[in-house]
Amino acid sequence: MAGKQRLSVIKQHIRANTNAPARTDEIQVSCSNCSSTDDGKVSFQSEAPTIPKRRQELLKWNGWGYKDSKFNLNKDGQVEFGGERYRLSGQTMPQLREWMTATVGISLDHKTPAQPELTAKDIPAPVKNEEFISELRKKAIPFTDDCQDRLFRAHGHTLHEVFVLREGIFKRIPDLVVWPNSHNDCVKIVNLACQHNVVLIPFGGGTTVSGAVECPEGETRMIVSLDTSQMNKILWVDEKNMIAKCEAGIIGQDLERRLAEKGFCTGHEPDSMEFSSLGGWVATRASGMKKNIYGNIEDLVVHIKFVTPKGVMEKSCQVPRISSGLDIHHFMMGSEGTLGVVTEVAIKVRPLPECKKYGSIVFPEFENGVACLREVAKQRCAPASIRLMDNQQFQFGSALKPESGSILTSFVDGIKKFYITKLKGFDPKKLSVATLLFEGTQQEVAAQEKRVYEIASKFGGLAAGADNGERGYMLTFVIAYLRDLGFEYYIVAESFETSVPWDRCLDLCNNVKDRLDRECKKRAIQFPPYITCRVTQTYDAGACVYFYFGFNYRGLSNPVQIYEDIENCAREEILANGGSISHHHGVGKLRKRYLKQTVGDIGLGTMRAIKNFIDPDNIFGNDNLMIGEPKL
Amino acid sequence: MEEQSRNVWIKQDDPKLVSSRHKDIFEDILEDRRHSSDVGWCLRTRDVPTYKNNKTRTIGQIKEHVLASDRVKYAVEQVCMESGLPTDEVWGQTKEILEEMSHNLKLGAIRGFAVFLVKVLKALFKRIYVNEEGIQKVRAMIKEYPILLTPSHRSYFDFLLMSFVFYHYDLPLPVIAAAMDFMGMKFFGWLLRNSGAFYIRRSFGDDQLYWAVFTEYVQTQICNSDHPLEFYVEGTRSRTAKSYCPKFGMLSASLEPYFKAHIPDIMVIPVSISYDKILEEKLYAYELLGVPKPKESTSALFKARNILSEDFGNVHIHFGDPLSIREYSVGKVDRSIHNLAPRYIASLSAQETDLLKSLAYDIVLLHLKHMVISPWSLTAAVMVQNKEGISMRQLVREVEWLKRHALNLGAYIDWPGNESSDTVVRSTLQLHKNIVAINKEDVIELISMDVPSHVSEDQLMQSAAQHLMLSIYRNQLMHIFVRVAMVSLTINACTQDTLPLDDLYNKYVFLEHLLNRDFIFHPEHTKLDFEHSLLTLTHNCGVVIKDDCILIKSSTNKYTTFFSQMFEPFLLGYWIMCRCLLSSHIDVHGKPKAKPPKVITKEAQMLSARLLREGAIKHLEVLSLDILSNGLHALHHMNAVSKEKRDGQAYMYPNAIVLTNVCEQLEKFLDVPQIPMTSILVESKTVVINAKL
Ligand SMILES: Cc1cc2nc3c(=O)[nH]c(=O)nc-3n(C[C@H](O)[C@H](O)[C@H](O)COP(=O)(O)OP(=O)(O)OC[C@H]3O[C@@H](n4cnc5c(N)ncnc54)[C@H](O)[C@@H]3O)c2cc1C
Repeated sequence: MAGKQRLSVIKQHIRANTNAPARTDEIQVSCSNCSSTDDGKVSFQSEAPTIPKRRQELLKWNGWGYKDSKFNLNKDGQVEFGGERYRLSGQTMPQLREWMTATVGISLDHKTPAQPELTAKDIPAPVKNEEFISELRKKAIPFTDDCQDRLFRAHGHTLHEVFVLREGIFKRIPDLVVWPNSHNDCVKIVNLACQHNVVLIPFGGGTTVSGAVECPEGETRMIVSLDTSQMNKILWVDEKNMIAKCEAGIIGQDLERRLAEKGFCTGHEPDSMEFSSLGGWVATRASGMKKNIYGNIEDLVVHIKFVTPKGVMEKSCQVPRISSGLDIHHFMMGSEGTLGVVTEVAIKVRPLPECKKYGSIVFPEFENGVACLREVAKQRCAPASIRLMDNQQFQFGSALKPESGSILTSFVDGIKKFYITKLKGFDPKKLSVATLLFEGTQQEVAAQEKRVYEIASKFGGLAAGADNGERGYMLTFVIAYLRDLGFEYYIVAESFETSVPWDRCLDLCNNVKDRLDRECKKRAIQFPPYITCRVTQTYDAGACVYFYFGFNYRGLSNPVQIYEDIENCAREEILANGGSISHHHGVGKLRKRYLKQTVGDIGLGTMRAIKNFIDPDNIFGNDNLMIGEPKL
Repeated sequence: MEEQSRNVWIKQDDPKLVSSRHKDIFEDILEDRRHSSDVGWCLRTRDVPTYKNNKTRTIGQIKEHVLASDRVKYAVEQVCMESGLPTDEVWGQTKEILEEMSHNLKLGAIRGFAVFLVKVLKALFKRIYVNEEGIQKVRAMIKEYPILLTPSHRSYFDFLLMSFVFYHYDLPLPVIAAAMDFMGMKFFGWLLRNSGAFYIRRSFGDDQLYWAVFTEYVQTQICNSDHPLEFYVEGTRSRTAKSYCPKFGMLSASLEPYFKAHIPDIMVIPVSISYDKILEEKLYAYELLGVPKPKESTSALFKARNILSEDFGNVHIHFGDPLSIREYSVGKVDRSIHNLAPRYIASLSAQETDLLKSLAYDIVLLHLKHMVISPWSLTAAVMVQNKEGISMRQLVREVEWLKRHALNLGAYIDWPGNESSDTVVRSTLQLHKNIVAINKEDVIELISMDVPSHVSEDQLMQSAAQHLMLSIYRNQLMHIFVRVAMVSLTINACTQDTLPLDDLYNKYVFLEHLLNRDFIFHPEHTKLDFEHSLLTLTHNCGVVIKDDCILIKSSTNKYTTFFSQMFEPFLLGYWIMCRCLLSSHIDVHGKPKAKPPKVITKEAQMLSARLLREGAIKHLEVLSLDILSNGLHALHHMNAVSKEKRDGQAYMYPNAIVLTNVCEQLEKFLDVPQIPMTSILVESKTVVINAKL
């Protein structure tokens, strides 16, 4: 991109720095809080992480996200979203209650409030390995055994975990939390853990949805939560090679915000990016919304520093590709905290895109949408993000309509305009919506738009405007908060995902939905369940599919067990339909039982052999993946 | 005389005046048609339920889908590659196959046909009973999952009746897999096509192209559930009123979409259709004897119009519980096995094939379970054992006795509760007056049954035909007794005082192998069946067990004798087959001479005829090619006969050692005439079962 254009992009992002030198041959950015050297390295000053050590002061202790942001019922009995962080904050959504009543049978008279905040007396006393603790103290590595801090790191965000927080207590929580400040601290901690036979569980953002950070109940050794959040430095950005070297504890929002200040981005945006960490992404093989342009984590990572009980594992060079036998990066990626801790990562960066534009397409039916996405993938012209919602999700989007007068009108309103003019013949009970995000230069975006909309029209799709697209993406962030509201009214809900070849995509969606419905009936769930899906990523050979599933459990005593049983049926169905164990959430403890079927005996044996070599004493003993036998 | 009623809540005081429109679980659907306009009924609007994932398609679109499918494209490519034929030509063939196959279901044609059909049905049958609850289940399921209708098949009327029932209940009309035989009939071929029949060649073994078109055509209609799909698991119409062993081809083709995870589930609905009187009874009898049946041409059917003046009693149609293939296969198959190849290329796994076989047997067994047994079947069973004639009093007694035991064995018998047994038997004799007659002494006889000692072949066949008609009706209840009979036969044939249960079981297994073609045994239930039968016999029929042995003296009684005698003709037929194979067995260069099964069967029939004419045996039923051929195939199944292909045709030859052994075992169950090994010259000797009473 030309220097001038580039500069204008940067200007948009760094208003403070309007007099940066603009040279066509070499681009450098200088500002007050960074220094750039002749070799193209941009360095950053350290900054405190957005999420403090005492996470519970900013974040909900028993639910999703910021304390100040949540759905509430106001005095008029209408749903509103609190705080001021999000565009939805401070808005009332008059149709949402109606929707919840109609789809899942919520009744305002039947509440299930959570237990009050837990105090020291409720939280298990820590197992103490005094030698380990005193060595830590000697080495001046910060740690705590505060019960609230330990509790906060005892869980991720699966239904089961949050339900435990609302109703009970975990049998086992970490006994200690340590906060290394650097790679070297990590080396020391791992050494000490090996010496004193202490279990380490790396903790990044705690956003896992596979039970990955939960403590094994039967563990008798001291369990230490290795919280990487203080390792949040961007060590440097190498502009020549477009690589940023970062400490693994930096969370997505901090990483992108701080890179943007210098005109860069990684473009890695998992929906959890506000809280999840770089190390966590590597450890779980995460996938970002904009992978079509930037790639998934495995495409983004150039170098990883990995501290294991055997020592530090890393490659000696930082190259775009290598043929050096088995790829050790692929032992680290997806290791889910079972082999070691990721301490530093060199990740690709890109200049911030000049232009960012949302879009949407309405299809008469979900099926048309799938066919269209398939074609888009085939022609390899997918924009940064393209997602297809089924009708139920479209309806849900409509229900999120804030009170009129706001900038956020509903899908329906947005689509109605088209409906009157063009959409005659579209059945609102069947239509399906694709949301799009384009990134690039103005021209690139324009060309992409043209091409995608042309393809869409071949499949009966009509462009339905940018607003609808934007709202679609917002919905993704909001839905995690909405579950907490459901919890208050007898609703249990969760999402799960898979990847599937194109030829089976539609059948898988239909069959899994049918299976969920059927299993609900079998278990005498009295209210209609909420079952919906969306295709969230496209690839050459297939797609990623997301399901949301929830139900009203009034009249049932063990909702979580029932939920899990049903989700397991759905997973079985997914596997029988040619889908995978997971596209990006990972295995953790939740999906262990499917690992053998997925990789075979030899595959599993190989993983175990690696584990036995690297970590024979099971110091990284979080019980994920191939460790031990799955709990059925 | 309203005050006549004893209780105000009783509307019809005289039970005799209550119509039999509703009977137990059944409802007569013809009644309404007798009181309203047929045309009005045929033209009324129908509000039919449809499958939730259905996309409305025209017949043309279905065909387009088939031609554009990956499966057919792939097959065409393969054929071009293997045969070297130009692509256009192969596509041409493909289209021809599809055209030949496709149905052309048109509501217009159906409505027209319906007017005609309803008149015929009213003329032929008194009542057509349907179990309403079964229909409700079908109605509910149609919305949820694709439906496979698998009726029993004992008459051409089966599929007319099925469509009639669906029309009556405002259900979507089924499309029906029909054998090619009909296509020859000009008018009917056309009419049936327009009423939803599609045509399948009887055998297309390894014709890749045909297979691909057929599979895609069937599966796309299942997946989109354009209509319920109907076909006969037994493959063809049973000429014996017994169920035929199931075939697996159509069943696997139609259930494959579940295993390949195209659809969430498929509901199989077994339907049992029971006739008081089978329209084709006479045709069947001749066919069983090998007298060529009249070709199924339109004119022949029309000539059958004088049939319209006859009374064919009632029909009972029972819709069984929908059987979910998903539930049926839980824990037994792993569908993810198909994940590694395109779904149109790979075939079903061995696990799945086994499962489908098992399912096919279960379907047929479910048919049998819900068959409605008419009093005439009971009567026929008694008559078969009393060919010389039986007095009315005796007949009624025997029928009542048999009825009680059939009921105890789980049969559903259509016996009017408020009539005397005498009335019931007399009315059933009246319905079948073409087979039996009551003479002046109140003795019931078969019409022209007597076989003079030296008659021409023709006459022998004539009386055999009459006899076979009777046996067809007895056949309707044979499945109820076959298992207890297999135990009884062994008890009856035992020459010791006691019989260890293990030996009894071994004999049971032997008999099951032999009777495998004539009766339906679930391949995995042998032990269970045996145990149930033994329990029945000990609880109900005086069989005594002590120290894991049967006490033969007390166990050989009226029950065991009667049950054994019921099956005597079958065993005798098999024995004749054995003897025929053994005696005509000539070594040609160290190997017995191989012949096509048809030829062997015919030879065995000749031996039967000879033995009959010479009075050595008396069961005319052994002339039935069906029994003989079933015997031959059972022997093959038991490894007593080997099979090989010559010019694509099956040839068979005896496996002397095994065969001799089978034959000897068989002789223990029967008193058989002696036939010298080398010739078919027969000393005259009567064959009777080893009756101890
Ligand atoms: C609302 C919501 C939306 C989500 N959206 C996405 C999405 O779009 N894409 C996606 O990929 N995932 C998504 N996730 C899942 C989750 O955010 C990812 O798995 C993420 O990568 C986890 O990162 P984390 O830092 O929170 O890791 P944690 O939850 O803290 O830990 C996850 C696992 O990684 C291990 N681990 C963490 N840090 C390290 C380290 N430095 N070294 C070694 N092991 C480590 C832990 O031991 C644990 O086993 C979502 C989750 C939620 C709740």
